[in-house]
Amino acid sequence: MSDVDSMMYGTTLSTESMKVIAESIGVANLPDEAAKDLAEDVSYRIKQILQDAIKFMRHGRRSRLTTHDVDHALRAKNVEPTYGFFAKEHIPFRFASGGGRELHFTEEKEFDLTELVSTAGAQSWPKLPLETNLRTHWLCIDGIQPTIPENPPPVSKEVQKLESTDPISSKNSNPNLGKPGHKSHKLRNVETVHVKQLATHELSVEQQLYYKEITEACVGADEGRRVEAYQSLSADPGLHEMLARMCTFIAEGVKINVVQNNLAILIYLMRMVKALLDNPSLYLEKYLHELIPSIVTCIVSKSLCSRPEMDNHWALRDFASRLMAQICKNFNTTTNNIQTRITRLFSHALININQANLNSLYGAIHGLCELGPDVIKALVIPKIRVISDRIEVCFEGVNSSSIDRNAAGHIKTLLIKSVAPILKTIRSAPDVVEEYEQEFGYIGPALCTAVSKNRTTPAAPISSGNIPVTNNTNQQVAVNNTKTIPPKVVLGGSGITAGTTISSGQKYVIVSRNPATGAVQSQHHQGQTVQQVQVQSLPSTAQVQQQPQVQPVQVQQVQQMQVQQVQQVQQMQVQQVQQVQQVQQVQQVQQVQQVQQVQQVQVQQQPQTIQQVQVQKPAQGTKVMVVGMPNAASTPLKPQQQVIVTQNSLEQFTESMDVDSDR
Amino acid sequence: MEKDKSTMIAMLQLLRKYNFKETSELFKKEANIDESEIAELKPSSTEVESVLSAYKDDWEPTRYDKAYTELQKFVESSLDIYKHEMGTILYPVLVHMYLEMVYQNHSEEAQSLLEKHSRGIEDYYQTELKQLSQITKREHLAENELANTFKTQQFNRRISRDTLSILKRFLGEEKPNNHLLMKIVSAHVNFDIYEGVARSKTQIEATAGSLIGEASRTDNKAKVYYGLLKEQDVGPVPIATEDEDEEVGTDGDYRPKKKKTKKDNIFSKKTKSDPNAPSSTRMPLPNLRDIDKMEKRKAMKEALKRVTLGPDSLPSICFYTLLNSVNTAICAEVSEDSSLLSVGFSDSTIKVWSLVPQKLKKMKDAEQLADVLCESDDVLVRMMDDKTAETVRTLYGHSGPTYSLSFSPDKSILLSSSEDGTVRLWSLHTWTCLVCYKGHIFPVWSVKFSPHGYYFATGSHDKTARLWATDSHQPLRVFAGHHADVDVVQFHPNSNYIASGSSDNTVRLWDCTTGGQVRLMTGHKNSIYALTFSMDGRVLASAGCDGRVLLHDLAQGHLVAALSSHTAGVYSLTFSRDGTLLVSGSLDCSIKVWDYTKLYDDLNVEDANVSHNPDVKTCTDTYLLRSYGTKSTPVLTTHFSRRNLMLAIGKFDANLS
Repeated sequence: MSDVDSMMYGTTLSTESMKVIAESIGVANLPDEAAKDLAEDVSYRIKQILQDAIKFMRHGRRSRLTTHDVDHALRAKNVEPTYGFFAKEHIPFRFASGGGRELHFTEEKEFDLTELVSTAGAQSWPKLPLETNLRTHWLCIDGIQPTIPENPPPVSKEVQKLESTDPISSKNSNPNLGKPGHKSHKLRNVETVHVKQLATHELSVEQQLYYKEITEACVGADEGRRVEAYQSLSADPGLHEMLARMCTFIAEGVKINVVQNNLAILIYLMRMVKALLDNPSLYLEKYLHELIPSIVTCIVSKSLCSRPEMDNHWALRDFASRLMAQICKNFNTTTNNIQTRITRLFSHALININQANLNSLYGAIHGLCELGPDVIKALVIPKIRVISDRIEVCFEGVNSSSIDRNAAGHIKTLLIKSVAPILKTIRSAPDVVEEYEQEFGYIGPALCTAVSKNRTTPAAPISSGNIPVTNNTNQQVAVNNTKTIPPKVVLGGSGITAGTTISSGQKYVIVSRNPATGAVQSQHHQGQTVQQVQVQSLPSTAQVQQQPQVQPVQVQQVQQMQVQQVQQVQQMQVQQVQQVQQVQQVQQVQQVQQVQQVQQVQVQQQPQTIQQVQVQKPAQGTKVMVVGMPNAASTPLKPQQQVIVTQNSLEQFTESMDVDSDR
Repeated sequence: MEKDKSTMIAMLQLLRKYNFKETSELFKKEANIDESEIAELKPSSTEVESVLSAYKDDWEPTRYDKAYTELQKFVESSLDIYKHEMGTILYPVLVHMYLEMVYQNHSEEAQSLLEKHSRGIEDYYQTELKQLSQITKREHLAENELANTFKTQQFNRRISRDTLSILKRFLGEEKPNNHLLMKIVSAHVNFDIYEGVARSKTQIEATAGSLIGEASRTDNKAKVYYGLLKEQDVGPVPIATEDEDEEVGTDGDYRPKKKKTKKDNIFSKKTKSDPNAPSSTRMPLPNLRDIDKMEKRKAMKEALKRVTLGPDSLPSICFYTLLNSVNTAICAEVSEDSSLLSVGFSDSTIKVWSLVPQKLKKMKDAEQLADVLCESDDVLVRMMDDKTAETVRTLYGHSGPTYSLSFSPDKSILLSSSEDGTVRLWSLHTWTCLVCYKGHIFPVWSVKFSPHGYYFATGSHDKTARLWATDSHQPLRVFAGHHADVDVVQFHPNSNYIASGSSDNTVRLWDCTTGGQVRLMTGHKNSIYALTFSMDGRVLASAGCDGRVLLHDLAQGHLVAALSSHTAGVYSLTFSRDGTLLVSGSLDCSIKVWDYTKLYDDLNVEDANVSHNPDVKTCTDTYLLRSYGTKSTPVLTTHFSRRNLMLAIGKFDANLS
């Protein structure tokens, strides 16, 4: 029994309270005897009333006592209830002391009734309570609880957390409670088998279908479906069981697409990570070892796209940095030290700045900047001088390419944007350009202006710092530093498609610098030759018919590990790429049963046109769905990507943007 | 003067000790009248003197503490087999010591005694001890209900003969404090002696927990006709036609076979006469009207399509969530045919929803009714005004929260009980209140229609349960005997008995015809909020605030099973229509499904007799089939439709998530 319990015995109100109350009703100098007697009696009565009030609470099927319960208890004792003390929420007691006396009281505001009535506006009136509603759903169907939002998640977040931190404890918990997909008697029969496994890794047919649909939608061509898929990933309560596979899918996808420089897919995969992070019923810690390398890759990889002068890989780096910051914020503990390790990783990239790739440098700086002002103060600001020397070379150097110059520009913008608010706090005004130049070198003057500007507009939002990605939803991160009117690729949006409403959900817009190319993909094949690629595990729409009006199509083939085939890839320069079609096949090597018959992809390319991408379907004619074990080294990733950004849809999209901004 | 008085009382004690009851009474009377005489009654012999001095010491509060500690030591040092049974007297002794000390104005010492020794008392008594500790003055004793219960009611303890003799030997020892203990034990504890081995700790704990101890054997001696009544003939049951079969669904492969067996069940039940069933004239029941017969036939037809449930075929649950009503919705009730749902609110209103496509219509007014042809077949439909069709209707009339609702079997009437002490009868044709039954003056916690209609039962804060007939404004029977609020009442399926659950942690069964109490069942450790009878009428399931589901065999009143898995109060218990599953819904946001078939098979109900207590089944894991969590939604009601689809109603509480 705890101390609180033992305090129940013989507690009474103090005699001082009695005296104060007596004073308040005009009885001065209440004798001690009387006060003591009263205190005892009043305490007894109060306890009796509360005891009865609890009866009313229990009959009201509640676990919280309300003032009404007390009123009813008083009424049952034939005592006039204390009217007017109704409150929906509990009223906090205020404390005051003075003159050696202490007082607890509730705050009572005085209202001018006439004013209340006369200002019959909507604001002053209390809101009407909402009408009681009846909502129906299936709690279980033939004994199996469907994982729908109306039902609690099959494995609560606490349990997932416990499982990831203390796996043994979850072993002892009752396995058959509320778990879908298993009949309890079955479990009992095979209990010995089930005990050995910490978690069952079998997915029901529905879950397999769902996995397939979701992964296809996430990396597929249809933006509308993709948005729906992200929404499902971020809200669906029943994803716990397939989380391992999702993470493997992401990790493998990043591995392959980084090699392929396939920016769009990388973006889609990062958005998947974000959706999973946002899901309130999932606890990702168990899978961070797969996710973090992928995310870091997307931040610091030397090349993320095939045409660095055109494609906006900066937005991906920004997005991934914010994801990383969110993960650090959510999962950092003293045992895993995620934030420390991540910080160390990024700061390593800043050690040898002069040899570092500019893209990686940008990523590392951004990653650090997202981790909060302290990190910027300790790790970024001391390096500014070296960095600015490096970018000076890029800007002023004779033999520096436009790509380098562009990257240097980005780094400069980034530094100014995120460092200036911090510098403002550690440096005192006035800001002297010379001082800045001396300390920070090349970008000193720019920093100086930014800081002084920052001082004059204190309300300016600080975009750096430890801002979780969620804050950036609904916000359009447009990285637009070119003068041309850019075509855009929607990087993350919950609007239906590009060109429809964009007011809801997060929206990241990547701006490509090539006005003529709306495509993200940019692998240049110089090929009109026939390529023969042997693939396995074909996606469903194996026969991809070209729409006649689409002229140049690039087919990107993922090189396969086993297929030792020399591909003659001749590059074809396409000036106006309106549609990019990619057929990617990644094979699952290790799982023998998944090895489908070897397919032949015949791509006939003629100059300027590809008429047909013909793929022989697997014999059974069904979609091949490979559910790999999460422990397996790789999971098949066979997204069929169709990134279709036609000129028309872009125009629609820009129009809708304008409309949106008009509102 | 004070000394004189104490001597007098010492003398009284002496007389009592040697069991001169008459004399002591007489003495008491005389003593009060003549004081000088008492003064002359100076003790002469040394023996008496020592006794008197010993008793004088009893006035000192420290004595109680010593006496209790001695008793506790004795209990702990006794042999293991007797230890637990002996330990059961600790609680009543502590309670009465406390009350006596308070009575003698030693409340501070009494508090410290309670505080010191309450740790040694079982957990389930702690609530009562805390409530007891509120009493600190002699004046409070007179009016406190709990204290009165303890004073007027002997604490009943079942005890084996061996244990009792050991205990008696201890109390009889010539120790100064033992007289005090002896006095308390003999005055306030009633021993229900049985032959045989002393019970183990778990056995004792199973039935302990009520305010008045355990049920004695005499409480449960009366015969209870727990069998089902022979149902009145309702005419031929229409055999389901072919097209209806198709309508049932795609899974028709296994249906025909199953239907056949079920049909046999239904018919055989009608023909077999149950030796335990009361005669159909024992309790006058209303005759079936044509419309009732129609409804019965419909129910039977539906029952033919019933899904057989079991561990392998668990039910589907359709969950109705009440939104925006977390602090207002109190109770919910579904009509027998699962077409109507009524919900009682704390703002005194009642809402009735239609769960089927048919909307809720109002009867036409008198002028329009005159135009309706009485001969037409669909006269009932024509009486209703189509213009008033709505899916939800609200009933206004009570002046306090509505705590319980009950539909009549023909679903034309709804009864509601409220905090304002009244029970109201609402017509679901005119949607108005027809009768207001005022009998209870305190809040009415529960109301229940008889399964045959006409009668209904109520339970109230005034510690009584009552039996009413719809056409009488006076109760037909008042069942008094509970020592605290009657929280829930339930009709036996044969309408001859009413079960009541109370805050004194007991369940009682009352005979409607005689008005007497025929069963007293203990075992709950807190208030009881849900009661239900098994389909065969033999087993009574009860559940309540302590989160446990107890099953009692009505034949002997024994507790036969205790299922504990819920973590909060259980407010709803339902057997599936085929009697194979028991379902409990709780405030801990879960619905649990129990395998009643297996449990019943394990019970061996035929073996039990009055003196032999069967083992209480407590292995929850064996019988718990499944637990379904709801999303922050405490469960108010569970219900099985005629086809064994389960409906559950809960109120969403955003604070819980």
